[in-house]
Formats: sequence, C-alpha cells, structure tokens
Amino acid sequence: MIKMKNTYKISLILFLTLLVGACSKDDLTLAPQTALGEPNAFDTKERIVGQVNGLYASVKNGGFLGGRYYVYNDIREENFIPKSTNLVTNYATWNHTVIGSTNEVQNLWGFVYASVNAINLFLTGLDANYASGKLATVGVSDAEYNQYKGEALALRGICYFSLLQLYAQPYNKDNGASPGLPLRLLAEKTAANNDLARSSVAETYAQILSDLNAAEPLLATNNGSALLNVTRLHKNSVAAYKTRVYLHMSNWASVKSEAAKIVSATAPFTAPSGVAFRLNTTFAGIWATPYTSTESVFSMPFTSTNLPGTQNGLAHYHHPSSSESYFLNKEPGTAYAMLVAADARKVLFQTGTVSGNTEYFVGKWQNYTVQADYAPVIRYAEVLLNYAEAIAKSDGLTQQAVDLLNAVRTRSFPAGTYTLASFADVSAFLTAVMNERSMEFLGEGIRNMDILRTYQTIPGKQSIPAVPTTSKSYIWPIPDSEISTNKLMTVN
Amino acid sequence: MLFSLLLFTGSLVIAQTVQISGTVTSSEDGLPVPGVSVIVKGTTIGALTGVDGKYILAVPQNSQALVFSFIGFRTFEAPIQGKNSIDVTLETDLFKVDEVVVVAYGTQQKRDITGAISTVSGKDISLMPVQSFDQALQGKAAGVNITMPNGVLNNPPVIRVRGFNSISSSSSPLIVVDGVPIFTGNLSGTNSFLNSLSDINPADIESMEILKDASATAIYGSRAASGVILITTKRGAAGNTKVTYDGYAGWTQPYNLFDVMNADQYIEHKNLARANNPASGLGFDFFVPTDANGNRIDTKWSDYVYQTGFQQNHAISISGATKNTSYYLSVGYTDQEGMVQKNSYNRKNARLNIDQKVNKYISISANISYSNGYSKAPNTGASFATAGAARLAFVLAPNLGPYALDGSGKYNINGSAIGNMGQPVANYGYYNPVAIFDLNKFTTENDRLLATLSATIEPFKGLTFKTVYGLDNVSIEDNLFQTGVTGDSYASNGLAWNQFNRPNRWTWTNTLNYNVTLSEKFNLGALAGIEEQFTSGKSWIGQKTNVNDVFFTEYHGSWTTAGMGTGGFYENYFLSYFGRLNFNFDRKYYFEVTGRRDGFSGLSEGNKFGNFGGASVMWNISKESFAESLNSIVSDLRLKASYGRVGNMSGINSYASLFLYNSGVYGAVPSWNFNQAGNPELQWEASSKFDLGLSFALLKDRIQADINWYYNNVDDLILNVPQSPSKGIPNNTVPANMGTMYNTGFEFTVTSYNITGPKLNWTTSLNLSTLKNEVTELAPGVTEIIGTTGGLEQTNRTLVGLPIGNIWAVETRGVDPATGRRIFVNAAGQEILYSHEAANKWTNRSDGSTASAITLAKDGKASGSPLPTLFGGIDNNLTYGNFDASLNLTYSMGFYVYNGSKAGLRDQRWWNNSVEVYENAWKTAGQVTNIPKPVMNDNVSNGSAFAISENVEKGNFLKVRSFSAGYSFRNFPEITGIERIRVYGQLFNAFVFTKYTGSDPEVSTNGDTNLTPGIDRNSAPQAITYTLGINVTF
Repeated sequence: MIKMKNTYKISLILFLTLLVGACSKDDLTLAPQTALGEPNAFDTKERIVGQVNGLYASVKNGGFLGGRYYVYNDIREENFIPKSTNLVTNYATWNHTVIGSTNEVQNLWGFVYASVNAINLFLTGLDANYASGKLATVGVSDAEYNQYKGEALALRGICYFSLLQLYAQPYNKDNGASPGLPLRLLAEKTAANNDLARSSVAETYAQILSDLNAAEPLLATNNGSALLNVTRLHKNSVAAYKTRVYLHMSNWASVKSEAAKIVSATAPFTAPSGVAFRLNTTFAGIWATPYTSTESVFSMPFTSTNLPGTQNGLAHYHHPSSSESYFLNKEPGTAYAMLVAADARKVLFQTGTVSGNTEYFVGKWQNYTVQADYAPVIRYAEVLLNYAEAIAKSDGLTQQAVDLLNAVRTRSFPAGTYTLASFADVSAFLTAVMNERSMEFLGEGIRNMDILRTYQTIPGKQSIPAVPTTSKSYIWPIPDSEISTNKLMTVN
Repeated sequence: MLFSLLLFTGSLVIAQTVQISGTVTSSEDGLPVPGVSVIVKGTTIGALTGVDGKYILAVPQNSQALVFSFIGFRTFEAPIQGKNSIDVTLETDLFKVDEVVVVAYGTQQKRDITGAISTVSGKDISLMPVQSFDQALQGKAAGVNITMPNGVLNNPPVIRVRGFNSISSSSSPLIVVDGVPIFTGNLSGTNSFLNSLSDINPADIESMEILKDASATAIYGSRAASGVILITTKRGAAGNTKVTYDGYAGWTQPYNLFDVMNADQYIEHKNLARANNPASGLGFDFFVPTDANGNRIDTKWSDYVYQTGFQQNHAISISGATKNTSYYLSVGYTDQEGMVQKNSYNRKNARLNIDQKVNKYISISANISYSNGYSKAPNTGASFATAGAARLAFVLAPNLGPYALDGSGKYNINGSAIGNMGQPVANYGYYNPVAIFDLNKFTTENDRLLATLSATIEPFKGLTFKTVYGLDNVSIEDNLFQTGVTGDSYASNGLAWNQFNRPNRWTWTNTLNYNVTLSEKFNLGALAGIEEQFTSGKSWIGQKTNVNDVFFTEYHGSWTTAGMGTGGFYENYFLSYFGRLNFNFDRKYYFEVTGRRDGFSGLSEGNKFGNFGGASVMWNISKESFAESLNSIVSDLRLKASYGRVGNMSGINSYASLFLYNSGVYGAVPSWNFNQAGNPELQWEASSKFDLGLSFALLKDRIQADINWYYNNVDDLILNVPQSPSKGIPNNTVPANMGTMYNTGFEFTVTSYNITGPKLNWTTSLNLSTLKNEVTELAPGVTEIIGTTGGLEQTNRTLVGLPIGNIWAVETRGVDPATGRRIFVNAAGQEILYSHEAANKWTNRSDGSTASAITLAKDGKASGSPLPTLFGGIDNNLTYGNFDASLNLTYSMGFYVYNGSKAGLRDQRWWNNSVEVYENAWKTAGQVTNIPKPVMNDNVSNGSAFAISENVEKGNFLKVRSFSAGYSFRNFPEITGIERIRVYGQLFNAFVFTKYTGSDPEVSTNGDTNLTPGIDRNSAPQAITYTLGINVTF
C-alpha cells in the first residue's frame, strides 16, 4: 500500500511537469505591431504609394529641405544677421567657423545620404517586384510604375545637387574637375561597402542629369490636383529643376531648351503644356494658405501634426518672435538696401525690436506658433530668371530677357519696369538679374548658390570678413564622421 | 510507533527504531526554543521542537548522531551513543556562521556556497533616508560599485558588479525580487526621475544577495553577465505577533555649491574682458541696474534653485507565525522634498506576504505588494539644456534679476529667455529659473503591482515541486506642462505632453528539486526547471500646443492644437530550460554544475537559443584531519574555483534582427520609411567568468574573511558598428557581435566581531575591491568609439588597449605668465597659445608664429580613466548597553572626473564665473596664475569649445556615507505592549574628503552609461540629509 502511494505521487509529479512543459507557448516569433517588416513593404498598392511618400518625407527632414538647408544657403552670404550666437541655430555657418565636427556639417550630409539610400532601396525593391510581376498583381499599372520610378530618380538628382552646393567647389571653378561627392547608387543594408571614393564635380553633375533626364519621361504630366502637383514631382517640375542645374554648369543652351518647355514665348509667361506654371498675381499670395498657387513648382508640405521640428522650420529662422531668428542686414548692397519701400517684397517684411533697434525680418513664413507654412524647393520666378540669365549669357541683351526679368520684378514693384535702354551692356543686365534674385529669394536658400556658381567672393557682414574663393572656408568641410569611416574619402 | 513510522519515513523497510526525546534550550537565557529542527544525521528523518522546547523522535538503530538547527543559533551535532534522552543547549550564532543564504532558485548554508556571493542584510539599509534601497548599497559589498549621478530625488544609481560588462548594452545587473526578474531603471518619461526600485519599500527587505561569479549566476543564463541581485522580502517569524512602527523626519540640503561672483565683481571682471576684446560686439559696459524701489540688482541665483527640503517616512509592520501560517503585513508612507526647489517624491505602499502550510505535502505562499509613487521635479538639466536648473544656478549673471525692474512683480523675461535689463547683451538665451520653476510642471505617477504566488508540493522528503507565478505590472503617467509665457515652449505658446505607459511582465517558473544524502556522507542535490517570461510595453502620448489662455496649466485645459504622439508597443518572450547539480562529500569536497538554455523572441529564426553554464569546486580544508590541530586558530578554510559562460541580452530589443519600415506622414498623406537595418546574425553578448576564492575564519569565527580574484572576459560584444554616413543606413550603424573586453580584480571582505560582550558589542566589516578594465577588440576597422555628452560635447573615447570610456581632452599646461594665454599642446607636443581677440588666434609659444588651430580630433588624447581602480567601504557598528552607533565610510580611488562645469564657470562669454576667476585672472605680465587673461567671448581657453586637460581632475574620495547614533528604551509596563523604543539621529552623506574642485566626485551627468562615465557637466550637486527617527517595537 505504501508502494502504491509513492508511485502515485511520483507519477503525479511527472505528469504535472510534462503538462507545464507542454503549456509553453510558441511565442518565440512575436512580430512587431507598429512597424512593417521588409518582406511586406510591397504587398499592397497603398504601401508602395506610402513608400513613395516616404521618400519625399525623407528629403523633407527639418535638417534638409524641410528647413535648415535653405537657412545654411542664405546665412553664409550677406543678407542676414543672427539674433543669437547659439551654435544650435547655425551661428557657426553664419560666421564661417564650421569644422568637420560641426553639427550642421555632419547632420546635413547624414540626412541627404539617408534619403539617397532610401531612394536606392526603393528603386531596387520596385524593380525586383516589377520583374516578378508582383506590382501588376497588386494593381500598379505600368504607367504608375514608371511614375514612382521617375519620382525616386528625380529626388535622387535633387539630393546630390543639394549636397554639391555646400560640400564641393563650384562647377565653374574648373569645369567640374574638383572633387565632388561619393556616388552611392546601390541600396545599402549591411556593414559592407563603407569605402567609396569621391567622384569629380563633373561626374556628379553627369549623374544628377542622368537621373533627372531619365526621370522626366517617366513622370506624369499632371498629378491630378494642385496639392499633388506642388508636393510631388511631375514632368514640368523636373524641367524647372533642370534649368537650375544647367545654369550651375554654365550650359546656357540647355537652360534655354529646358525653360522653353515650361515658359511661353511671350508674357504673360506660363507653361504651354503640362501643369500650367504661372507667376502668382501677388507676391504675398505665394506664402498664404493653401500654398499651392501656380507659382509653386515644388514645395515641402506641413500640417499642424506634421511640423519641421524644433529649431528647424523656416519660421524659426525668419520670424521676429523667435529668439534665434535672423534679421535683415541693411548695409549697402544688401537686398534690404536695394528694395524700395513700395516693393511688395519689402512691404511683406515683419518688424521686431533687437537690442533697442527696429529690425526687419523676411515675412514669408508668418506662422510662428504652428510652423506649418510650406517650404519652397523651387518656384516659377526662379525659372524665369534662370531663363533670362541664360539668354543674356548666350545671345546677349535681348528684349525676351528683359521681359522675363520684368515679369518677376513688376509683379512686386510695378513701377520698376526695365527697358533695353536701362542697361548699358550685358553685364549691367546680368548684375540687375543677380540683384533681383537676391531681393526675390530672401530666405529661400538661393543666394549662396548664386555667389558660388559665379565664383565670387562671399561678401562680409558686420564684423565678419568676406571669404575669398581661395579660402578653405569657401565651401564646407567633409564631415569627420565620413572621414573616419570611409577610407577612400578625401577632405576639402 | 507504527503510526510514527508511516508519518516520518518514506522508507519501504520497517526497521528497528529507538525512541529518543529531550529539550532544547538557548544558551543566552536558558529558555526553551520552539521550532528547532532535529534531524537524524545522514537521513531525512526529523521532528520539530514544540512550544515547550521538547521533541520526540523515532530513530533507526545504529544512527550516529542527531543534528539540531535553528535560525540564529549554531547548528549542533549530538552523538547518540545509545542514549534515550538528549538535552541540548544551543549557542547563539553570534558570528552568523550557520546563516542560510538565498541563492538562485533556492537557499544554501553559507559555508556550503561554492560561488562568489555577497550578502547585505535588510537591516543595514532599512533606515537610510533614501528613495530606493539601491541608493544605500554603496560600500556594502565587495566588487559592487554604486554611483549616485546627482542629488535629485529618485535618480536611479548606477550599479556595476565587477566592472563594466558591456559597451552598447547595459552593464547593470539583473534584479530578482522573490524569484521574479523585475523592471529596472528610470521609469519616468519626463524630468521627474522615478527609479523602478523605489517601488520596493526598503523596510520590507529581509536580505539582498549579490551573485557575482559564473557559478552563482550561470543559472540565469543570458541575463547574468552583469551580475544578479536577489532581493528577499520579509516573512513572519515564529512566536507572538510582532508589530513595529518606524518613522523619521529629516532635512536635506545641497553641499559644495559653487562660489560665484556677485554683481560688482561680475561687472568689474566682464568689463575688463570687454576692454580686452574690441571686437566683442558689446556696445557698452555692463552695469548694475537698480529697480523701481532703488534696490541694486545683485542676485544669488542658487538661492532660487536650491532649498532645504523636509522629509518624513513612516512604516508599520505586523508579522508573526503560527504552526502552519506565517504572515508579514507592512504599510509605508514616505514624503520627501529634495534639495532642489519643486523636487519631491511621495510614495504609499502596502505589502502582504503569507506562507501557509496546507497539509503535510503542500504549502502555498503569496507575496503581494502595491505601491503608488508620485515624483515631481523641475528640469534639472541634462548637461546642455538651457532650462537646466543646476546650470542656471551658476551660469546666470548676478546683475540680472528674476523680476522686472519696474517693480510690477512681473517676471524679467524677453521672449523665451531672461530679460536683459538693458545690458549690452542683446539676448541672453538662457531662461529665467524663477519663471520656469513657477510655471512649468513635470510629474510622474506610477502604480505598481508586484506579486508572486507559489505552490510547493513535497510528496516525500527530498523531492520538491515548486511552481511560481510572478507579476510585475506598472502603470506610469507622465505629465509635462511647459508654459508659453517664457522658456522652452515659448515658441509653441505652451506645451502639455502626457504619456501613459504600461510595462507589464509575467514570469512562470516550475522547478523540480531533489536532495538526498547517501551513506551519510554523500550529499546530492539536483534541480531542473522551466521558465517562461512575457514582457510587453504599451505607451501612448497626447500632446497639445498653443494654449488659449495663461489660465490653463493642465493638459485638460483649452488648447488650439492637439496632437497624438506615437507612443510605443513592444512584446517579447523568453523560454528557458535550466538545471543544477551539486554534490558534496562530507561537506569537505564540493562540486556544482549549472546550465541554462535560453530562447528569446527578438533573435532571428534559427538563432533563437543560446546555451550557458558554469561549474565550481570547493575544498573545505578546515574539515580535513590534518587541519584539525589548527582549528582553534583557523576555524574555517575553504578554497574555491569557478568557471562559466553567461550572457547579456539587454542590448537586443524585441525586434533587433528585423529590417523594418515605420509609418509616418508626408504633409497629410501616409508614408512608409525604412528605419531599421537589422542584423539577422545578431547574438547575445557572452562572457567567460573565472573566479578563485579563499574563505577563512580566525579566532573561532570571530574574524571572517573572503578573498576573491576574478577575470571576466566579455566577447561577442554587440557594437553598433559605425558605417559611413554616405551609405545612409538608419543611425549610421549596424549592430554586430564584434568586440571583446575584460575586467579583472581582487575582492577582499573582512567581517570582524571585535567585541561581543553582553554590554559592549562592536563589529567592523570592511571590503576592498580592485578593478582593471581593458577593451581588447573593437569591430574591424573601428579603432575608437566616441562618447558624447548631451549630444554636443565629445568627452570620452573607447579604444583598444585602454579602459572603456576614457576621458578625451586636449592637453593644456596652465597659463603663460608672459602673455596670460592658455597653453595648449598639439599632437606634435608643441606648445600653442590661444588669443581669442587676435586675428591669428593660434600662435606658437616659442616664437609667436602662426600655428594651426587646435582641434579635439587632431590633438586630443587619453586624459584619464573614470573607472575607479580601488574602491570599497568600511562599516563600524557599536552597541553599548542601550546606546548604539554606526559609521559607514565609502571610498573610491584611482579615477578621474571630467569637470565640465568648471569649463562653464570660467567661460568668458557673459556667463557668470567662479570667484576664483575674479581673483586670479591674469592681468599683468609675469603673473603666475591658472586663469588666463579675460577676453570677452573667449570660450576656448576655458574648455567650452572642446575638452581640455585643465578640467580633468582626480576624483579620489573618502566619504562618510552615514553616521548614526541611537538610544533604546526598554522595560515598559506590560500594559503598553511596547517592547522597545529606539530614538536615533542620522547624518547621510555627511562629509566628503576629496581634492576634486567640483561639487562632488561621485557624479555621472550621463547616468547609467558605458561609454561616457565620469562626466560632471552642469550636474546638480549631491545632498546631505539629517534625520531624527524613532523605532517602536510592540
């Protein structure tokens, strides 16, 4: 009887143990609930469109085309004075003391290349899924496939072009012989391939144009709504961007041929086909909601729940209420000094008190509390001025060139019409175009591009001396983080 | 008799037995002792003494001896020698020789332990004026180094057991409470720290065991690499119900605040600096403003930041045990104000521990504790935050005041920053601390249920099946309100941010344990177990900006813009199989082996399991016949060795091996963004631990000592291998198992019961540990890992051949007497001078020619290791009659601290400076001083632009951690029921002896970090606390 009792107990124990062992859940494969695993990213059409939006969202990073990129390109030049010496709000860029470890130098490089890799990953995935027929299965037509591919390629071109403006010598210095950028064209997911040498500036431009030219025929002619036409690329927006790229290469003929696609032969200037770009009737209207006027070619959209981020938005840098914004330099030769009081662009300025003085601020981004004003990547006024400059530089002083300049100028300053007689020669005209650009594009990050592409000395401001073209500070240094990890990288 | 046989023997053979009985009394007072276990040596046949101290036992013939044991008394072996009546007097275990120590999944006799385990009694820490028990563990255990990052309430201390065991993952130990691994770290999502361990009332802790070597920890497998701390909570003790009340009240203040300039000194010094720099950009001199009432503005900002805080703590416990039930109930309340204004911590908690013997085979027990904590703090600053209170206290100019000059009582503000009162600086950029203290609020409230339920089934003596189900459920609500009037949320016109976070965990462990003694000398124990653990964390966030009226100071008010943050969601699952075998022969030769197989859901397919294990041997030399003659001098001599392999999984998040896209928006449309390049090959970090130990006791156990030597080699370190940013990989890193590092050192622990008289009792325990840490391999092609403080200042580097987290700075050699310029040393060893106002800022000291600019990247070098090479503590406890006193010292040597705050105190922008700068600034040629010529806007000579060796100081210190003295009143009339009342006073963090010039060398601006330890950058100082308390025992 005792024997049985023990056997009973032992078997009960064993049974319980087995029961417990069998109960162990097979939960060793818990999938994340808030992130999409890679294999599922192309499973539905919505996700593919979401990935395309994701590429735009990536370049829209507050440290890149969402805000700071334009600021870097403006404050290097003469038009702005900072309220604060805070290094976090780009003081070192303003006074040309950036070094390889400076935050903006490392951050911008990182953000742009993160976008490039996201684009490369998308292109690889898109092509693979197209080849396997999966895209067709989920309802993506060939036209849509082409459009998405075109958008990705065009964005990559924009990324590389943007980087060139700060980290490489201008094309016009030596026809592009200077060191350019490492051209990342493959999707990177692993620890391999850290080392990649820089291609020359000319080779980088070749890649940019290759991407933009490949993109243009693939893109849609019209994305379907004003909002989509401004926030996503289409044929005409790429043509517009190419006028900028070719201008930097001094390829006047190509500037003209691209511009001719989207600028009518006579005023009022508009795009003859595709999305009908047109200068907005009023200057102020460009900057008012819904930010999708016919003048906006490509802008980065924001909403109250999708903001540029702390100290990133253009309003943070140009609004009088911000303690770290930049006010306009009033010294002779600056945009402020050149604008007449009646000019709509000057009327739009806001005022604020700094150290007891009244100072002026670019009034384009007036939404300071909720910084949801769109950021302009490129707008039609620039296309017209690019066209005017290219005509003047190849054909000399022509009425068409003057008309183009007038279109932009008289929109804001009706009394300021130029005639052929206003200019002694072509160089006087070109100076007028440069000045107009300085006045028109305050805050939009064009000024640094203009100074560098024409290989001029960077003007000084207040106590900051001018930066000659031979100075090490003429362009930004290569970030320390790249030098320490990419063995084939060379410094500037 | 037959009945006794059936009851007490599992044996199948009916043997002849003899009845033996007797009484057990205590040597202390001669009274009978109930509950004493009487066992026939070498068998499991036994009985317990009754309330009268008597026992009766049916003992098989030919049995040799009876073993008598009870907690608090020396185990006694009485030879039978044919007697039928054996009375025994047990001696109190004065020297705690026969202590039972909690080990992983069980308990062991102290002298049977073959691994390296340090024990800290709950009594040692229960009355310390801390928020969580780990703040009181400093200097209490060899090999365990604890750093309090600063004096802000409830900031989790940094715990390191035998050095740093990881680079990218956590080096903090696993914490197990009553068998359940719990959440650790700071639970707060905002500025009000909430140490997870503060939910455990220190008064509820019976003992803490720190498991250090592989033998002790290997059974925790993949979570054991940084050591394991086992916490056991109190149980009721046999006897009458015991009721206790413990209360204390205290005051806390910061110490060693910086001595900064007053307004007159400030304007004199800054105007001199301005005169020395014509290009300063300041249009006119600084001056002392006067307010509308004619008062000069001369502000001592630290008065507005710090305070003397009041603290009170109450705990009541009711405990007892009957034959089948033991219970422990405790209720506690603590309400503490910190040394920083608007910093407070309040906790209410209750605990009920019950053990119930259901029948002779089954017993169940429950430990249930509920705790509610509420933590409130201002922004005390994470190094470079412009709102950081600690920094505002010393950086703000004394000629600015908190209120406007017009006497209206309004705050002196200019937009987001403090107003400039007409000074030549346009925008000071820093906030008005009075305004932001008054108007901003950061609170965290948490509710926590920590419970374990267990059932033990013992079908026959020796075999035990135990199932334990543990719950650690926390709900945390963070409330952040920042005003739109000024400060961080001025731009968005106010910000209210609330987060609700629920980390939950359940653990279910089933073990089968078998202990048997064969032939009276072979003691065998076997343990097999299965454990499952499921952890999830779900949080969501609500956020509002642009408040509609300053009247609203809560999230629930009226705001223009409402948004929802993403929050977080993770789940992971652990499945483990483990086992242990221990064997000893006659308690002379010991052998133990453990193993564990862990599977974790976060690893990739095919890679989910890892195996870990350890083995140890011990030789009890003092039990050998040849050692018997030494027994009067050396009463215990044991030699141990252990080796094992354990893992660290804290660096692997729930989804680390996957490639992931996360969702966002582009304007108003949804987007998917590639945001994680996982590594399918990722494994957990593993370390091999080797330990040699010698334990001995002298003078009949009066002096007990342990000496250990350990060598931990960590390999497969998960490193986020830096990738070229041009590859565009998220975070520019890919995690991979790449690096190796080792920690080695000695540990020496001595406990000496110096005097154990009836009236005078004096015990000393001291421990001493050494540590050498060296990184031996990083990822191929990665020569260094840069550690950054506050995301802005590069302060440390981790390189092969040096200890982890070495401080990295440019060497400086004081100030050149001829010119008053700071002398920098470049990579080539040349001396370079810096002149901020000159066109050529950098010149060679030798000849004044232009030199290239000094940069940290080019000219920085290893400037000192922040890891102490020698540390420990000395405790002295004295009782004389009714008086008692205790003194705890802790010390730490052989390390450096980067005094970044000193850089700020010497910065020549408008920032306030220390009085030392005012008095010693270089003014005339030939002056020998350590403060360079003041030049307005110079932020290089002082070490703000990049770290300089001038600010790297030795941190060696000796601290009087606590000093307490008390008096006990006894002999109360029976009607009161009071057995004893003790009143006491205590000083906590009483004195610091150090040459370090910052506020305290025990500091860590970066908190619990591997790559950036030893940094003091604008940290709040530590606090000294005075308490008066009373313990009442009924």
